[in-house]
Amino acid sequence: MAKGGSGIYHRYEKQKQHGVDVAMSMFDRTLEYIDQLQHANTASAVCERLLGVTSNFGLTALMAGTVPQPGTPRGQQKDHVLLCDWPGEWLERYVARNYVDHDPVVSHMKQLQAPFQWREASQAIVIDKSSDEVMGDAREFKLRDGLAFPLVTLDGQIVMVSLGGESVELSDVEFGMVSLVSTYAIGRAMQLHTMAGKVVDHIELTPRERECLQWAAVGKSEWEISQILGISEHTSEKHLLNAKSKLGAANRVQAVAEAIRRGYIS
Amino acid sequence: MLFSLTTQELMERPDLWEAVHRLRYKIFVEEMGWTDLDRPDGLEIDQFDHDEAEHHLVIRNGELAGYQRMLPTTRPHLLTDVLTDLYEGTPPSGPRVWELTRYAVAPGFRDGKRGVSTVGTELIAGFVEWGLKRNVNQVIIEFEPMWVLRALQLHFLATPLGYQRTYGNQQVVATLLTFSEHTLEVVRQRRNHFPPVLMRGYPGQLGLRQAS
Repeated sequence: MAKGGSGIYHRYEKQKQHGVDVAMSMFDRTLEYIDQLQHANTASAVCERLLGVTSNFGLTALMAGTVPQPGTPRGQQKDHVLLCDWPGEWLERYVARNYVDHDPVVSHMKQLQAPFQWREASQAIVIDKSSDEVMGDAREFKLRDGLAFPLVTLDGQIVMVSLGGESVELSDVEFGMVSLVSTYAIGRAMQLHTMAGKVVDHIELTPRERECLQWAAVGKSEWEISQILGISEHTSEKHLLNAKSKLGAANRVQAVAEAIRRGYIS
Repeated sequence: MLFSLTTQELMERPDLWEAVHRLRYKIFVEEMGWTDLDRPDGLEIDQFDHDEAEHHLVIRNGELAGYQRMLPTTRPHLLTDVLTDLYEGTPPSGPRVWELTRYAVAPGFRDGKRGVSTVGTELIAGFVEWGLKRNVNQVIIEFEPMWVLRALQLHFLATPLGYQRTYGNQQVVATLLTFSEHTLEVVRQRRNHFPPVLMRGYPGQLGLRQAS
């Protein structure tokens, strides 16, 4: 994303000469938005806060995620999405009609790997019938124009951020702010994603908890388990409760099932 | 293996000193085109290679594979003296804030086209370990905006210090990264390598592969 938009900085220089205050207050606002984003605790809160910033410039809808390979089954397309606040019906239609394979914004991103406005994408690409249909349909949902830019993850994957609305008005400086704030939004979404993953993936059962579960799996009661292991009934109950909560299970049956599924017991 | 050496310590090892300045030349003058730093001897050295700078060297198979330089913010550094248009207001400074400069991975040690190599992440693990040990918890970095997302993925708390600017064909944004033990854990998990990377003392003579 190092290319494009060098005009941002010329304009900004002028603004700074005319009055530091204008630029400064804009920067302070950016910091405030970023701070709010870093405190958002769910993906939808991240969306809401990001759109709270971008809607000032007419960008009212948001889609961000990795771009699926062409021909990815519809069921798996949703796994690529990191943040989404699109009109619900539009999203359904987009997935149902497999628009991702024909969306000029998506193809343009794959080629350019730099920021651009939606209208540039429609111009740059030899419009086939289906890509025309995508943009025409988008307009029905008040998505007439927008901007898109790529971000690169640690493993070199490209995340595409696309923001749209009915009429998009923003200067180069504002574009710089929107892309920076969006980067923080995606970063926060990815943090929330790994944190959620960690709860599920990082479980350590103690040897005793495992033993108790193993006996519970063959139908032994807490009292029986305590007799087998030579511990008090209260202790065996405690081990099972701990294991249940670590596995995120609602009851003992689910805890046993989950422990087997994960290979902790057999 | 990452070694942290003061400028004095680095100068006591001419093989390391030369490898460091040659790698910096190769990357920052030849690859990035920072012609202000050009010198006829093919070594890149600037006014910040002073007594209080710390040089981080990643050594792989007897070769200098990665490098970064840490500068204290209690005296002039890049942001306050050279890259002054990268910050708004007053930049952070103090004994717990250092500036990370000249982050470099030698060409033979880059993995993919876009991803961060294992030497690249070792440099990151290295400065976090180094910082936590000496009660430093923030670094200022002037990097390409795409690094912001990577820093967040590694659970650094990031704050921009100013707008992004274009230098030559590159965009740069000054960012303050705050880290903790938690950050180190995430970095280690991402690397799937848990032992400390920061070593004591000196690496062996360069060019000599360690017998295994």
